[in-house]
Amino acid sequence: MSVYAVNKLCRRVVHEPELRRALSEAPEDAVRAATPPLSEEELEALLAGDVGRLSKMGANHFLLHQLGRFHLLGLDLPEYAARIRAAYR
Amino acid sequence: MARIVGAFGVPHTPHFPAIVQRQDPPAAEIERLFDGVARRLAEVEPEVIVFFTSDHYNIFFEESLPIFSIGVAPAARGPSDYPELPSYEVCIDSDLARSIQAHAVASDFDVGMSQEFEFDHSVIVPLHFLTPRMQVPVVPVFISAFVRPIPSSRRCHALGGVIREAVEQYPEPRRVAVVATGSFSLEIGGPRISADSHTGIPDPRWVERVTALLDSGRVAELVEEATDDQLARAGNAGGEVLDWIAMLGTIDPRLPGFLEVQRDYGHAFGAWPVDTPRSWA
Repeated sequence: MSVYAVNKLCRRVVHEPELRRALSEAPEDAVRAATPPLSEEELEALLAGDVGRLSKMGANHFLLHQLGRFHLLGLDLPEYAARIRAAYR
Repeated sequence: MARIVGAFGVPHTPHFPAIVQRQDPPAAEIERLFDGVARRLAEVEPEVIVFFTSDHYNIFFEESLPIFSIGVAPAARGPSDYPELPSYEVCIDSDLARSIQAHAVASDFDVGMSQEFEFDHSVIVPLHFLTPRMQVPVVPVFISAFVRPIPSSRRCHALGGVIREAVEQYPEPRRVAVVATGSFSLEIGGPRISADSHTGIPDPRWVERVTALLDSGRVAELVEEATDDQLARAGNAGGEVLDWIAMLGTIDPRLPGFLEVQRDYGHAFGAWPVDTPRSWA
């Protein structure tokens, strides 16, 4: 189950304030608890806020940008945008 | 009998209500453009609004994603996705909604139904500006425009035609306005964002082309040119023009009474009044 799990986590971020809190306070625990489970590669990229890599893995950009919008995993919208631009430079 | 009294198109940029509230620089233009549509919508005295929109992964997600669906609940709250926006409860004309769905399915259009949902900003932002008292019930029609495969422009235009038939066969007298919302070119969070934002307008030429075709009533050409490739070139929200195309399918081709493009945003505001009430004429 790949990429779908990343998309689903990003989608849940919009609707679940408690998930946003968990991702802020204990990101690794929150990401490891996600269902369906993430692959190790997805997990590593998420925890690094490496949205460029997640993008290249096929994650949905509209959903991915929600991590920046809600200031999660070391991102905000300008940082999110900078990393996406860098990935496609 | 019910009839379509006008068709309208607007964007749903989630930041517009706050920009207007704070009176930031684009506020005057945003207010003027929404007012241009809202005034013409009020003039046709709608009793219900058929509202074409594309859910932004809020009601539907990849776990279950209908190509077309009609909301048949008695009411829905929103927005579900922008807690900072004003919250509203919007009444739904569920009898008309069910009647439209039944007619669509009987006409070989496989339109699903949604019974329990909240609206996202794509419904709430337009209504916030167009009918802020939420006095006009809606019939929401959801067109899947973000996750491929998306329906063809031809199919969406035909859906508009089937909804027009359903309205015209509805036994109760109802003045039905049709509103579509969406951008013509927009990338959100993807590789084609601009240098200074998390959004971008990847295909300004397409924005001009859509606007020119709308301005001259050349709907058939718009349907022809809005291919899947073209919509993909227009950005990851480029499919939203399908909502406009469905809206245009509910009326005969005609010149707009109002049409203005907002180039920096890749979208436009339009009004196609069809039937002016006696009290106004």
